[in-house]
Amino acid sequence: MTLEIPAGTMKKIHLQGEQAYPEEGAGLLLGKLDGDRKRVVSVVLLDNQREENARRNRYLLGPGDYLLGEEEASRLGLEVLGVFHSHPDHPNLPSDFDRDWAWPVFTYLITSVWSGKAGESRAWRLVEDRSGFAEEPVAIVDP
Amino acid sequence: MPKIRIPSPLRTYTDGQAEVEVHGGTVAEALEGFMSQYPALRQHMFNGQGDLRPFVNLFLNNEDIRHLEGLDTSLQDNDRLMIVPSIAGGRGKDLPAVDHSALRTNQAFIIGLSILAFVFYAPWLAGLVAVAMAIGTILGVPGFGFIYKGLLKPRGWVRPDILHDNPEPHRFAQGLGVVFLAAGVLALFAGFPLLGWSLVWLVIALAALNLFVGFCAGCAVYYWLNRLRVPGFVKSPPDQTFPGMRPKAKA
Repeated sequence: MTLEIPAGTMKKIHLQGEQAYPEEGAGLLLGKLDGDRKRVVSVVLLDNQREENARRNRYLLGPGDYLLGEEEASRLGLEVLGVFHSHPDHPNLPSDFDRDWAWPVFTYLITSVWSGKAGESRAWRLVEDRSGFAEEPVAIVDP
Repeated sequence: MPKIRIPSPLRTYTDGQAEVEVHGGTVAEALEGFMSQYPALRQHMFNGQGDLRPFVNLFLNNEDIRHLEGLDTSLQDNDRLMIVPSIAGGRGKDLPAVDHSALRTNQAFIIGLSILAFVFYAPWLAGLVAVAMAIGTILGVPGFGFIYKGLLKPRGWVRPDILHDNPEPHRFAQGLGVVFLAAGVLALFAGFPLLGWSLVWLVIALAALNLFVGFCAGCAVYYWLNRLRVPGFVKSPPDQTFPGMRPKAKA
């Protein structure tokens, strides 16, 4: 399934990754799922809840963050489609750690941030048997 | 009847329902009933040992059950149990920086000198290559890495190619090369030229595979031993890297 993201929203995600650098930044993707279209409409930018010395290679959004996202989503008539996070100076591929912690169905959008500058983002979804991720193509759309 | 509130990633498994009614006097019983109703959910909620996965939080009327009596917390008729995700991940640990230009210089010298040894029928030269590689293995550096470090890199003739990688498999691979090459040289001196040169050419071929294709056969052996949990082979391949292939992550 292709993940559609408005250019401005992608810019917000990249900016947050750059601002969090050299730590990982993260947040939630809100949007709509119609048939086989997955459209991101809005994002919730969140603080990385990991302890300070782990934030360079780990992120955590707690239950309170998720509830905040769900509240915002229902206010806008949307649903939580997934998560975005940055990989500072690292490829935008999911790590084993990403897999161990992944929720099914969710889209995991990963952005590489090289020396403080956001690069390309790629989207992934956990396969049903939890053995790995399948890539979801990303389409940048006009808002 | 108590109700369970389902977070969006799990609603695919509950036919889109955000809330379902459950039976059970405790959280554990309610979850068991819920799992038997939607069995595909189990692997995502529980790990192989049957424990709740660490990213699954359960809230009973807005209180984390970890602060109540955990899975033994009792449920009343009007209770609302919420499954709330924690979301975590990240790129994981950084592997050490390994300069692949030093490794490639090493491979190029191993190939070049070994071919010269064959062309000029000079087993002593192949022996010298084996000695350089053995010293490198003992010191934990590429045997001919000193040429890169002392000459090629300072003059800018070869640029560094620093990747996040495990150094141990490369050291093991070089050690394996020493064994084959030394066996070949011994065979040559012992009067078995076919066996001797075959072993020398095996080392040349594997070094060339590494230099030109980026596949380190000795590293693949190392990672294979790691998968078999052989003691001492503790490092697993870098993320998203086929065992033995050059990793993609620039340091």
